[in-house]
Amino acid sequence: MSNIFEFKGNEDAGYSQPSPMVDSQQVKSAIPKTLLREKRAKWPTASEPELVRHYTWLSRRNFGIDTGFYPLGSCTMKHNPRINERIVQLSGMNDIHPLAPENHLQGLMAIFYEMQEMLAHCAGMDSVTLQPVAGAQGEFTAIRCIQEYHRMIGEEQRDKVIVPDSAHGTNPASAAMCGYSIIEIPSGEDGRLDLDALRAVVGDDTAAMMVTNPSTLGVFEPDIAEAASIVHDAGGQMYYDGANFNAILGRTNPGLMGFDAVHYNLHKTFSQPHGGGGPGSGPIGVKEHLAKFLPSPIVSRQPSEENEIGVGDGWWYHWETPENSIGKVQQWHGNAGAVVRSWAFYRRYGRELTTMSEHAVLNANYLRHKIMNPPPDILEKIHAMPLDGCPADVVKHEFTLSMTPLVEAVGVNGKDVAKRLLDYGYMAPTLYFPMIVPECLMIEPTETESKEELDRFADNFHAVLCEDPEILTNAPHNTDVKRVDEVWAARNLILRHTD
Amino acid sequence: MVDQLPNLGREAEMLASMGLSSMDDLFSDIPEEVRRTTPLDLPPPQTEEEIWRDANRLLGANIPVNSRPSFIGGGLYANHVPAMVPMMATRGEFLTSYTPYQPEVSQGMLQAMWEFQTMVSELVGLPVSNVSMYDASTAAAEAITTAVRVLNRKAKQKDIVYISELVPEHRFSVIQNYTQGGGIILKKIPHDNDGHLDLEALKQAAGSCAVYVEQPNAFGIADEGIPIIKSIIGENTALIVGVNTVSLGLMEAPGNYDADIVVGEGQPFGIGPTAGGPIYGIFACKENFIRQMPGRIVGLSHDSDGERAFTLTLSTREQHIRRHKATSNICSNETLIALMGAMHMALLGPAGLEKLAIRNAAAAIRTKNELKEIEGISLAHPNSSHFNEFVIQLPSSAKSLCEYLDQRGISPGIPIQVLFPDLDSNQILISCTDQTTESDVTLLVAGIGAWAKEVTK
Repeated sequence: MSNIFEFKGNEDAGYSQPSPMVDSQQVKSAIPKTLLREKRAKWPTASEPELVRHYTWLSRRNFGIDTGFYPLGSCTMKHNPRINERIVQLSGMNDIHPLAPENHLQGLMAIFYEMQEMLAHCAGMDSVTLQPVAGAQGEFTAIRCIQEYHRMIGEEQRDKVIVPDSAHGTNPASAAMCGYSIIEIPSGEDGRLDLDALRAVVGDDTAAMMVTNPSTLGVFEPDIAEAASIVHDAGGQMYYDGANFNAILGRTNPGLMGFDAVHYNLHKTFSQPHGGGGPGSGPIGVKEHLAKFLPSPIVSRQPSEENEIGVGDGWWYHWETPENSIGKVQQWHGNAGAVVRSWAFYRRYGRELTTMSEHAVLNANYLRHKIMNPPPDILEKIHAMPLDGCPADVVKHEFTLSMTPLVEAVGVNGKDVAKRLLDYGYMAPTLYFPMIVPECLMIEPTETESKEELDRFADNFHAVLCEDPEILTNAPHNTDVKRVDEVWAARNLILRHTD
Repeated sequence: MVDQLPNLGREAEMLASMGLSSMDDLFSDIPEEVRRTTPLDLPPPQTEEEIWRDANRLLGANIPVNSRPSFIGGGLYANHVPAMVPMMATRGEFLTSYTPYQPEVSQGMLQAMWEFQTMVSELVGLPVSNVSMYDASTAAAEAITTAVRVLNRKAKQKDIVYISELVPEHRFSVIQNYTQGGGIILKKIPHDNDGHLDLEALKQAAGSCAVYVEQPNAFGIADEGIPIIKSIIGENTALIVGVNTVSLGLMEAPGNYDADIVVGEGQPFGIGPTAGGPIYGIFACKENFIRQMPGRIVGLSHDSDGERAFTLTLSTREQHIRRHKATSNICSNETLIALMGAMHMALLGPAGLEKLAIRNAAAAIRTKNELKEIEGISLAHPNSSHFNEFVIQLPSSAKSLCEYLDQRGISPGIPIQVLFPDLDSNQILISCTDQTTESDVTLLVAGIGAWAKEVTK
């Protein structure tokens, strides 16, 4: 069946339900007539056997980490351990209600507390809230805290947020949602932060600067401490976008670099599965001076009293609302299920999170070296080698390539290469981001790929660069559908099924 | 020892191939002044079986709502989720995929989300749906900012949005955080003693950017005034309705009474209350809001052979392209949970949805009728009709009732002060679901009866 609305079963073909406690007619007569639904929703009319097959078919037309190598830069597509999925399906997670009293949620709160402490420690921050449910929401939340901080100390004239031109789009979007105007500063020629450009824009209207480090080019910003003091000297706050946190655990941290606030992407660093676009989780950590603005809830604890059994660790956990909290950014306790998965992931590494980051960086450098140094017989056949997105002896967890030479040599662009990689059974690297690298492919292998997988990918990447340009410009060829007409979709906007 | 790293023990070989000799070489670019000098002060790694054991012990200390008679709702409801749903949704191809930026290898999730958009569209009676927001509160907040972007230019009351005073504190707080940056002014619409919107007061809202109300409202009341709002506020003021999504099996789809945007908690379709996340918010609107709406949208198209194909569309609204001029900062959303929702909705079908809604309402009718017979207990809004929840007036504090019944293994509901700190401490919101049984009702009634006797003697 090609579409879920084409099944021809009964209107109640799906699953049967027990009878209502009160007769249907009596229920309907208890609702004012003007409020009763006139026509039923045209939902599918299919049975479980049909639907299981439908969704199995759909799943086979979808590419995940489980299907193959997923070098999508900036997204940290690492393996998702399966025990984490079993854990969140436990009734003690799936069936708990956030508005239940504290004594019903002690186990969850103990996990929250442990995660707050761990995340604060790893980032060199003083306080953590687990409330934001995505990285972008973490950015928004932290910028809101900074905004309230400036209002409180009488510096609300600070109405500008500085972002480098290599920043993720969410940075300027999040700051703009808080009401700030955005100053975008150009990167230096080497792709790094340009301190002179920064000095030229800071002032008493600077609220904050948002920085990703390692940057979106995958390189560590050598002048980060200096940038932080420039911003601090002007009275601004430093915000750390944690998208690339996977590269540095145990080696450095945002606190040491001079940041005041940071968000964590639990769906990147801590293996919350990406699920086709979400759910994520974007806790934030802050230094002491921002802690009282954090959104509730935050878990605190005190020694338990005699009648308080809790989780049996001698503590009793409480929800706390900081003194000058900005309030809520999600109505409940954040994406608790993502926090619990990430807790299970963290427990698997413990202090070896350092080893995790080292292997992420090892794999990225190894793959970069392999791709940039093809065997001589292959090099001969390659139309044109890509350029480094930015010069660096070592990269961190990801790297960028510019496909400009290929465009110039044979008219094949980055998108063509990306689409052709799909034919080889890979997800395409991140395409055309960061925007400062022309014809950019951004590659992030993560720590969970084997050396053999990286070797194979490099070989196949080279094979693509040797192919007849026409094969590439028409790619992909072996996928479920061929190149999709995105312009037609945007012009015609067929956004739902109609009979 | 960590067991998730395929290249453990092969570091030297890989480093040597690059001409490097140690892991430290890979981090030589980090300036000394910002390097961490001490190892992470964290416990050693655990094995899978140790983690499983600890997870069971910790999460086992929680009290799930389905382990006892529980009447806790207030926006999240523990309806039965068919076994097919988590089993199919956690297939690795769905679970471990990213946002479908490469449509050629993502047709499965794209089609599933296009079908989801259709089901949401049918549910609420509006033509356009996105593929989910974080939850109902952020959906409501971004519906308001969307409406202001579309209508502010024509509005007589610039930047002003009217919002029902019966939006619970936590949801209102989210709306405030999302709207303050754009300079949006929120004005409250009052209600009468029956918990119905004050339609006389609502007349002031004509000429503003938008009106946000909920149906049923936070007291569970199905308000007859809601369907006539649009005739009061007029064409150029958006009507945004926050819904209990399950209620739409029984109650009219807001699109059919001219609502412009509909939002709500999708959670009862697809997943348990799960401590409030991950869940998903629905967001649907009329066509004139498409280019200003937040979130991802899937459109139908074709490939270069002319075969049917789906793709993300209207991305030019989004942050990765428009940056600070984007309609929203949303990037990660709740797709996997929306997928669970789609599967649950598909299994229910048109008749199943209606039956589910009736079962919810039926349980509430039975519970309400029995509770109001108890001496000392009365309905807070006796002249109003309800969907699956309602408020009762108690002879003493709701908090003391909850503590009394908790010790007897019953969760009677949510003290109204949890939702509205300024309201009467002697009121409690009682919520029913399809999982409410006759014996749950009997136990609740007996429990509240015993407590009432004790506190009034």
